Amino acid sequence: MNNIMSIIFASDNESKLNELTLHRTTASLPVGGRYRFIDFTLSNLVNSQITTIGIITKSNYSSLMDHIRMGRDWDLNRKNSGITVFPPYASNTSRSVSKGKIEAMYGILDYIEKATEDYVIVTNSNIAANIDFDDVYNKHIETGADITMLSYFDKPTSSRRVIIESDESGRVTGSRITQNISDKTEEIGLNIYLLKKSLLMDLVTSCYERGGVDFEKSIIQQKVDELHIHTYKVPGHAAMIDDIKTYFEESMRLLDKDVRNDLFYACGKIFTKVKDSVPTIYRNKAKVKNSLIADGCDINGVVENSILFRGVKVEEGSCITNSIVMENGHVYPNSSLDYVITDKNVTITEDKKISGFETYPLVIVKNKTI
Amino acid sequence: MFTSNKECVAMLLAGGQGTRLYSLTRDLAKPAVSFGGKYRIIDFPLSNCINSNIDTIGVLTQYQPFYLNQYIGNGQPWDLDRLNGGVFVLPPYMKNKGSDWYKGTANAIYQNIQFVDRFNPQYVLILSGDHIYKMDYSKMLDYHKEKGADCTIAVINVTKEEASRFGIMNTNPDNSVYEFEEKPKNPKSTNASMGIYIFTWEKLRKYLIEDEEDKTSSNDFGKNIIPNMLNDGQKLFAYSFEGYWKDVGTISSLWEANMDLLDENSGMNLSDTGWKIYARNTAEPPHYVADDATIENSLVTEGCEVNGVVRNSVISSGVKIGKNVVIEDCNIMPNVVIEDGAEIRYTIVGPNAHIGKNAKVGGVCNKDNLKIAVIGPNAVVAEDQVVPMGEMVD
Repeated sequence: MNNIMSIIFASDNESKLNELTLHRTTASLPVGGRYRFIDFTLSNLVNSQITTIGIITKSNYSSLMDHIRMGRDWDLNRKNSGITVFPPYASNTSRSVSKGKIEAMYGILDYIEKATEDYVIVTNSNIAANIDFDDVYNKHIETGADITMLSYFDKPTSSRRVIIESDESGRVTGSRITQNISDKTEEIGLNIYLLKKSLLMDLVTSCYERGGVDFEKSIIQQKVDELHIHTYKVPGHAAMIDDIKTYFEESMRLLDKDVRNDLFYACGKIFTKVKDSVPTIYRNKAKVKNSLIADGCDINGVVENSILFRGVKVEEGSCITNSIVMENGHVYPNSSLDYVITDKNVTITEDKKISGFETYPLVIVKNKTI
Repeated sequence: MFTSNKECVAMLLAGGQGTRLYSLTRDLAKPAVSFGGKYRIIDFPLSNCINSNIDTIGVLTQYQPFYLNQYIGNGQPWDLDRLNGGVFVLPPYMKNKGSDWYKGTANAIYQNIQFVDRFNPQYVLILSGDHIYKMDYSKMLDYHKEKGADCTIAVINVTKEEASRFGIMNTNPDNSVYEFEEKPKNPKSTNASMGIYIFTWEKLRKYLIEDEEDKTSSNDFGKNIIPNMLNDGQKLFAYSFEGYWKDVGTISSLWEANMDLLDENSGMNLSDTGWKIYARNTAEPPHYVADDATIENSLVTEGCEVNGVVRNSVISSGVKIGKNVVIEDCNIMPNVVIEDGAEIRYTIVGPNAHIGKNAKVGGVCNKDNLKIAVIGPNAVVAEDQVVPMGEMVD
């Protein structure tokens, strides 16, 4: 499908990922042992032959640039089309970088206009899902919608989720943005939209001129009667993260086989930056249960209900439970981690017992030695 | 097109059939055989080249080339997608005086003289695609230049017993070669040729052309080119290599080389970041280890699901291991499915094979008298089937 382009927002304006996004965009947040969040979006697009992709960044985008490079790992180093990364944009008249998605898109209207594609997918990058955009497009044409918004069913485990109200046909009749966590399963917007490029440009221009900032509030909520907005329910598992709690919960869901099958295989493979790690070696004292282990690890201790990223070293007598250890973590003998998230290159020296709590995992920031 | 001169061009002989690997090379060339969980044998010479700053490589293919061609592709995984140089797959081709298969190792290079000439190199490095080792070819090239040699042959010290299985270089104290013996019954020395040669291109070019004119020649480096150069008094030197080097041309040696990866003292350290071995990536998620799994002294890689017991084994990408499975002392190649309750010992399981429920494959054997069972690529072992040690299933 070559008639669709895409615009990806690398950072969420109101993200509460705190320590984990101190040095990076949400898009480049490590997930699932060897991925960054943006890998899901990029792979879904490429698997549906969508190759004109603009990525809008807001701040701290060097880790994202380092991850994407020329886009070769997603087969996006193309002569025509490919990835364009937009550094933070500030217009002459304002002193700060763009406040919301509308202002950010207004800043790149030239790029959007120049693209040869007639349709556009606008997406956030705090989403892990395996989506067939060919099917989304077909449904969009079938329903005759102006905007198709992707959705999934889940409990709103965090605030600021867009809860969709729709009629039997799937046409959106209204939406509200939650302020509270609820136990009721609802249809939740994934912040992924498909619409005609010409419509997007009109909407962005007119909203910007009226001082609109937020795509969801100014367009999805306000124009629900004026426009035909239709939902598309993503068939497999979908995950959205916006704080440490949801990041931890969604990560741990990957230990479920069905979730892994949905996310990693449903419509196509998920590609990421190739690092040429060696296979993981299990030594004689290794005891690993219910865990997801990336390549390049060296395990001689206990690992349970955990996710180890590439190149993690677990020494004899150490114990990792209910934790996420990112790339090149090193746990020395007789130390333990329980409900802990360690960012990249964290070293836990000998005889340290570190634990968080199920509802409040402890985060250890990048490059720290404890 | 832009080509500039290259000091040294590598020519990798990858056309051999590898008959002693039986069904593992039925559908693909030996250099494309899976190794060490996520590698192919050819990753070792290709990675050695790029790590040695040799960026122009011709890969000579002939037997079952499709998979190998696809695997090498544009050479990007080895950083060999270059504007000038890079990796080139060279199958036999038609010329205005007819066409020929590659008749021997020397003939394969002879037929590609034009390819080498395009880069106008001073030296040519000849490699083969059936060994596991890490070697800095640039040091060997320095040695070749320092000695002012016409040909330098890499040698490794083997035991007296092993020596009669190799080509043996008999050398003077200055390492110059005075005699070459192919598989001698009573070896005079233990310097075994590793099948790695550096030639001064001008010299090799001349000998290749002369060898081609000799209709009785078998057009082989070991049998013809090296002896001819010795007879003519050319300067041949032996370059001693110290380190891990293993021919993986037989079932037992391929099995042993995989097992060596589990032994810290074997000398083959894959995780040495100073000399990475590169491979084409399969885009699989991390492997999952279930509650019922036990994994000890083993290598496991991406895309695997482990529900059973794995000991002393190398498990390749995408392998699915069911509950109550026991895998001991095995090399399981990519995308194998092993159903619940199967037991596999001392076995190489080829890619995409399927082992049925409660099947029993192979058995514990003596390391001095290895009887490795082989399950061929795509082969199916039925439920409850028993495959005795050392047996092969196609």
